Amino acid sequence: MRSINLRMKQKLNEVFSVESNDLGANFLTNYFKRFTAYLKVAPFVYIIPITFLVSVSLYFLLGRFLIKLVTVLQYGF
Amino acid sequence: MDFKKILISCLSSFLIVINRFIGLIFNPYKTMRKISVEKDYYQPAFIIGIIFIYFKFIYYLRDKIYPATLIYFLFIINVFLTVIFFYLLSKLFSKNKKEIYFSSFIFTFSYSLLPTIIWFLSTSILFIFLPPPRTFSILGKGFSIFFVAYSLSLLIWKLILGYLAIRFSSKQNFFKILFMIVLYLIWFIPYSIILYQLKLFRIPFI
Repeated sequence: MRSINLRMKQKLNEVFSVESNDLGANFLTNYFKRFTAYLKVAPFVYIIPITFLVSVSLYFLLGRFLIKLVTVLQYGF
Repeated sequence: MDFKKILISCLSSFLIVINRFIGLIFNPYKTMRKISVEKDYYQPAFIIGIIFIYFKFIYYLRDKIYPATLIYFLFIINVFLTVIFFYLLSKLFSKNKKEIYFSSFIFTFSYSLLPTIIWFLSTSILFIFLPPPRTFSILGKGFSIFFVAYSLSLLIWKLILGYLAIRFSSKQNFFKILFMIVLYLIWFIPYSIILYQLKLFRIPFI
């Protein structure tokens, strides 16, 4: 029983280790919390499609420059 | 007996590192919160060790101007400067200075190096199998689109992990973290340019 209480206390300490974010205005805080909720669990579900869309748009926008950029990035390691 | 104990601790830490890596992919918020209260120093040692192997590996692909160990020590200095900078700023901004732990910064920042390791390692492996320059053929264009999407995904993941690392270590709110990051970039961008001009790092390994 004591060990369960201790584990419970540790978990609560971990969860409440940081105060929740307050951006000053209620609507801002609400939007921030709604947006960050997507990034807290499995963010790649949203990140991968968005980055593919951005990448394709960048190709149509920049054209050959994007291919040159990739060449530069490939030397970047 | 002692050696056995050390070996078991090392193996268990290694398994925890793999578990945390998977956790950071699927559950970054919860995992980074757990990492911030971690006490096992074998874990950052493992991550730093993997990076040492990486620098030894890419030495054969780079121009070989500087020895791999020197580049590795520079990387250690970069990380140490970053951790100290955010730690001192957090101490400065925090009302309750006793709740800021240096160890928390070490653990969270070392785990936030995961996207960096993946990007640098994959780029160097791609350098062997698909060496640049990229062509303007359909395959070249397709690969370029894929590579940009892949790099952007890892960059966003890196930003998320970096933000969470500062958030759980410094325990500051969003605006203060943003301010800290701006202050960090003020000195880190010129510093990176100097490293680039000295041909030490093309893209900073951070």
